[in-house]
Amino acid sequence: MSVEVRNVTKQFGSFTALDHVSLKVESGELVALLGPSGSGKTTLLRIIAGLEFPDLADATVLYYGEDVTRIPASQRKAGFAFQHYALFRHLSVFENIAFGLRVRPRATRPSEEEIRERVNRLLKLIQLDAMAKRFPSQLSGGQRQRVALARALAVEPKVLLLDEPFGALDAKVRKELRRWLRQLHDEIHITTLFVTHDQEEALEVADRVAILRSGKIEQIGTPEEIYDRPVSPFVYDFLGNVNLFSGRMKDGEVVIGDTSFAVTDTERVAETQTVAFVRPHDIHIARTQNGAHSFPAQIVRCHAAGSVATVDLERLDDRVHFTAQLSKEEYQQLQPKTGEQVFVQLRNVRLFTDDYSI
Amino acid sequence: MTTSIALAPSLQHEAAPRRASTAEPPGVRRLLIGVALAFIILFLVLPLLFVFVEAFGKGAGYYFQALSDPVTWAAIKLTLIAAGISVPLNCVFGLCAAWAIAKFEFRGKSLLITLIDLPFSVSPVIAGLLYVLVFGAQGWLGPWLDAHDIKIIFAVPGIVLATIFVTFPFVARELIPLMQAQGKSEEEAARVLGASGWQTFTRVTLPNIKWGLLYGVILCNARAMGEFGAVSVVSGHIRGQTNTIPLHVEILYNDYDFTGAFAVASLLTFLALITLGLKTWAERQNEILHGREQTA
Repeated sequence: MSVEVRNVTKQFGSFTALDHVSLKVESGELVALLGPSGSGKTTLLRIIAGLEFPDLADATVLYYGEDVTRIPASQRKAGFAFQHYALFRHLSVFENIAFGLRVRPRATRPSEEEIRERVNRLLKLIQLDAMAKRFPSQLSGGQRQRVALARALAVEPKVLLLDEPFGALDAKVRKELRRWLRQLHDEIHITTLFVTHDQEEALEVADRVAILRSGKIEQIGTPEEIYDRPVSPFVYDFLGNVNLFSGRMKDGEVVIGDTSFAVTDTERVAETQTVAFVRPHDIHIARTQNGAHSFPAQIVRCHAAGSVATVDLERLDDRVHFTAQLSKEEYQQLQPKTGEQVFVQLRNVRLFTDDYSI
Repeated sequence: MTTSIALAPSLQHEAAPRRASTAEPPGVRRLLIGVALAFIILFLVLPLLFVFVEAFGKGAGYYFQALSDPVTWAAIKLTLIAAGISVPLNCVFGLCAAWAIAKFEFRGKSLLITLIDLPFSVSPVIAGLLYVLVFGAQGWLGPWLDAHDIKIIFAVPGIVLATIFVTFPFVARELIPLMQAQGKSEEEAARVLGASGWQTFTRVTLPNIKWGLLYGVILCNARAMGEFGAVSVVSGHIRGQTNTIPLHVEILYNDYDFTGAFAVASLLTFLALITLGLKTWAERQNEILHGREQTA
């Protein structure tokens, strides 16, 4: 009971969009495909919808166990919401939503009454009942995206596929709409796959997140799993801001400058020269040296607007810049000044074996 | 997102003085408008009026008598036949070509686009001559056609062929940019919603391009009825048989029947005026359909 792709490869000329990708979305699950542009996430979604076909003969797309690899999009019964909505501009909101029902062959087409009833129910669901007669051009971006979702849902799809559903909206509407999508999904429990390049969106909305890089799935897991236990520097970097410290391995600890720090997942690292990854909120700043576990740095810039304060620093030994994030309270207590020398402690220091440069 | 929000006021701020600085002083403005107006009156409006003045020069009776002449009627009929065949054909061809060019990637696509424009760059007389060289008595296919008793040159088929050639690009040219701008996402949406290929075409593609298509058809029709050069070469100027309206006007004029020539010419002038009106209307409808999308 799931939507699944196995061994899917897709090339556009010499560019490999997808490289032997397999993915399984459980029934009723909401999965995010997260990756930078060009990572193949949209192509994967389009292959699942039947808008593109995989290159290799042994690639399969399964809807609830049924092989749909060679079935055209029009017969797959998937719901697809396009990044730029692709609403029919010559049809009203009502007719846009009714489209999928009206094009059915006579035998399976609902009666005019049933169509009206179903469309009205969907209009209520997307809270646009008053806009039924409007044309897409008379709606805001957020309203258009909701109409696009209702249009996709009208045909009672087996799977809902959303391509950057909030990509073209401004930040505020985006937040509202993704909360709405999550609520909607909790109500109707439709198997959903959505593409995004916004890690915050993926982590907030999805049950599981698949991270794509150059046509391959780098990691898949719950938001907590991938945020707390990234398998690669790429995933680590993609999920949030990151500071890099070059250092040496010594006795299972990483030595940065003259200071050693404990490391999460030490067994992975054997080499002596290494790069340590630290999130800005895992950097602690103090005026006094606290034992051996801190190194000196100079404050380059402070900015305190927003929910957290950001402090740009520079190491005194190799002059490398890094960024720390402080809570408002910490910032108020410390009152850091530009040019001041402080001591820096690191928490949750992470090392990766494969070479990856950010 | 945040950058665009931050940028917006500064852009507006910049735009305002720039617009003011490019505005010309009132004297220059009046001069430019005056020059443009003078040219339009001298070269467009006056000749247009002159056509009607000449046409009705000997009274309305003579005007209608000139039009009801059987030879004139034959010319009108032939023009309608030529346009009636070439416009639908070019309509179908234009749709196919524009669809292929806008929605698919294929080898030779740029060559096809170039070839569609060929009739614009080739002189119509040359186009007519090409058909004479191919289908004429001394042409490549001449002996074969002669043997099978098929007449193309100096007959109606030749006129239709020449008309198709010169009107070839009109519909396609109009639709290609329109369909390219629309992309294929609405068609894809229709497909995913379960629409068949034909349903997608009739319910999504056609409604989106109908005004552009009409616009192309209007221009195509105007050219088909007004074409002189290419048709003149292949027609043979047989009165009452292979003369279209423009050719008939020339014959009447050469016969010093100025009033008759202008009376028939006034038909083409009417056609031009109707075309202009329809064209403006179709253009506006198209803007309403597609412009709304952008302004919202």
